Amino acid sequence: MSTETQTQSDATSRSFLDRLRASPFLSELLSNRLAVTGIVLILAMVLVAVFARSFFDVAAISQTKIGTNPNMAQPSWLGESALATQSYGTWAYPFGTDIQSRDIFVRVLYGAWLALKFGTITVGFSTLLGVGLGIVAAYYGDVTDNVIMRTMDVLLAFPSLLLALALVAIFGTGLWKVVIALTLVYTPRFARVVRGAALKVLEDEYIDASQALGATDVRVLVRHVLPNCLAPITVQSTLNFGLAIIDLAALSFLGFGAEPGTPSWGIMLANGVDHGLLTGAWWWSFFPGLFIALTVLGFNLLGDGMRDALDPRMRETVD
Amino acid sequence: MTSWRFVLKRVLLLVPVLLGVATFVFAILHLAPGDPARVIAGQRATTQQVVQVRQALGLDDPIWVQYLRYLGDVLRFDFGQSYVVQKGTPVLSILESRLPVTVELAFYGQILGILLGIPLGLLSAIKQDSVTDHLTRVGALTGISVPIYWSGPLVILLFAQYLDWLPATGRIDTAFDVTQVTGFITVDTLIHGNLAAFQSAALHMLLPAAVIGVYSMALISRMMRSSMLEVVRQDYMRTARAKGQGAKITMMKHGFRNALIPVVTVIGIQFGTLLGGAVLTETVFGIAGIGTLLVNAIQVGDYPVVQGTVLVFALLFTMVNLFVDVTYSYLDPRIQQ
Repeated sequence: MSTETQTQSDATSRSFLDRLRASPFLSELLSNRLAVTGIVLILAMVLVAVFARSFFDVAAISQTKIGTNPNMAQPSWLGESALATQSYGTWAYPFGTDIQSRDIFVRVLYGAWLALKFGTITVGFSTLLGVGLGIVAAYYGDVTDNVIMRTMDVLLAFPSLLLALALVAIFGTGLWKVVIALTLVYTPRFARVVRGAALKVLEDEYIDASQALGATDVRVLVRHVLPNCLAPITVQSTLNFGLAIIDLAALSFLGFGAEPGTPSWGIMLANGVDHGLLTGAWWWSFFPGLFIALTVLGFNLLGDGMRDALDPRMRETVD
Repeated sequence: MTSWRFVLKRVLLLVPVLLGVATFVFAILHLAPGDPARVIAGQRATTQQVVQVRQALGLDDPIWVQYLRYLGDVLRFDFGQSYVVQKGTPVLSILESRLPVTVELAFYGQILGILLGIPLGLLSAIKQDSVTDHLTRVGALTGISVPIYWSGPLVILLFAQYLDWLPATGRIDTAFDVTQVTGFITVDTLIHGNLAAFQSAALHMLLPAAVIGVYSMALISRMMRSSMLEVVRQDYMRTARAKGQGAKITMMKHGFRNALIPVVTVIGIQFGTLLGGAVLTETVFGIAGIGTLLVNAIQVGDYPVVQGTVLVFALLFTMVNLFVDVTYSYLDPRIQQ
């Protein structure tokens, strides 16, 4: 019995891999130099995040380190700080230190873990919620459709960052509350995209066929409608990932997200603006922001490439 | 021609959306944890003050009475009073002095984005797959990947700290005292005929508008490019060329005009992002618009101000989208069917 299941799953996984390899989508995507650059950027960030998560202790790098590190030192490869009490090597503090003598390099690396972790949670939640609502709205139509989509319309009537701020006013501040707020902000976009895609799929004859064969609503939705909507969902998720990372950091920057002291990119930028701008300490703002920009650029390059690869009209222009 | 029936239909469709918006804004106060009267009066208020607030605002009434009263107030533009930010001042008059600041910033940012984005996108499409095209595309993608709260500090560091060419924060040099007429500082200084003040205001506007403008330029140039490439393959373009019309004239007269249609939509959609960007830009550059007002009000828990500001932002966004829809139907009459 168990061997049978084994071979069966082997067969499906092999055919899945084969299908993936043969798909014009993937070869199209991998021949797009910009999309590949995006994939490389994302993978590099994931490596940095996992590395920082495994080797740094978040409590230690959140604390003030007066006495051990130089205070507000510029990046060490630019020369040592005049305020330093003891000398250190060229690569001791590649991104410099902040006003509380913390090593910005270590904090920026750890920030990658926080950004990717909370970005994934936000995008994951809003994808699930939006896909569920969109598919249900498309399938049941009528009153259900109207109630769901008109609610989505109301949410879409607010500029996204402002809706997030309004929700923060309701939920209160903190990283997890910001995640919930942004989940609700992004859900309507997924619902709209998925509803549109699902409506198209529902016109196909195989839906009627499976219904005629007695398939339940859930089976039709999960086995037939959902798989055929995966392409637009994936593109939307990828593009939304970049947005989620920017918005999460923005809310921390405004003081509603991560706790002060947390090595989150938004908090570091806020500190840089509060204390670093007028003293000319550019490294406080520069490095965390650079990492945000690179990560977001990675997701935007990949998302863009995916959209081009899925759109046959784009393929025409490439030829 | 835009038919008035279409405009009327669009406006009527807005009614349920705006009702939903008002309901959500009403709910902000009642969904926030704790007793609304305590929330409004503030954490440090005495029990007596809380009772006073509760009576003054009728928070003892059944919720539906409060809801209907709120809707009535909103229709008369009565948003209540501020309790913390500017204690005792009607929220409406705070908004009146702050709103033009944000609108002015968003306006200049948008203009910059349009003036740079459309030519860049056009150039990119005409020279498809050239070095110029690749540079523009990567530049545009980078433009939307750079957060405003990073580009803002960086331009301040570069142009204000190191080069000392432009002022870092504020709207105008503190030496100038400009009485408010329209609230738009670049307009007000001109009305007073004070050219030195106008110059100061314009210089202060440059960096924040540029930061917002780059973002909007990136979105517009991307849309312009793809829309132009789409139009170029249409039959009417070939027909025009076959009739002996020159390549350039065809491109501009038939191509460009039709390609602009989807760009108009993008300009409308990204206006929301622009308003969000204004909140962040105002924070970075220390500009007292409704963005900083909202952030401030949330920090201190001034709920009437939060509600009023959120409502005004949603109204502004909805109105711009209505305007865009109507423009769209004017450019492409087929949409009206």
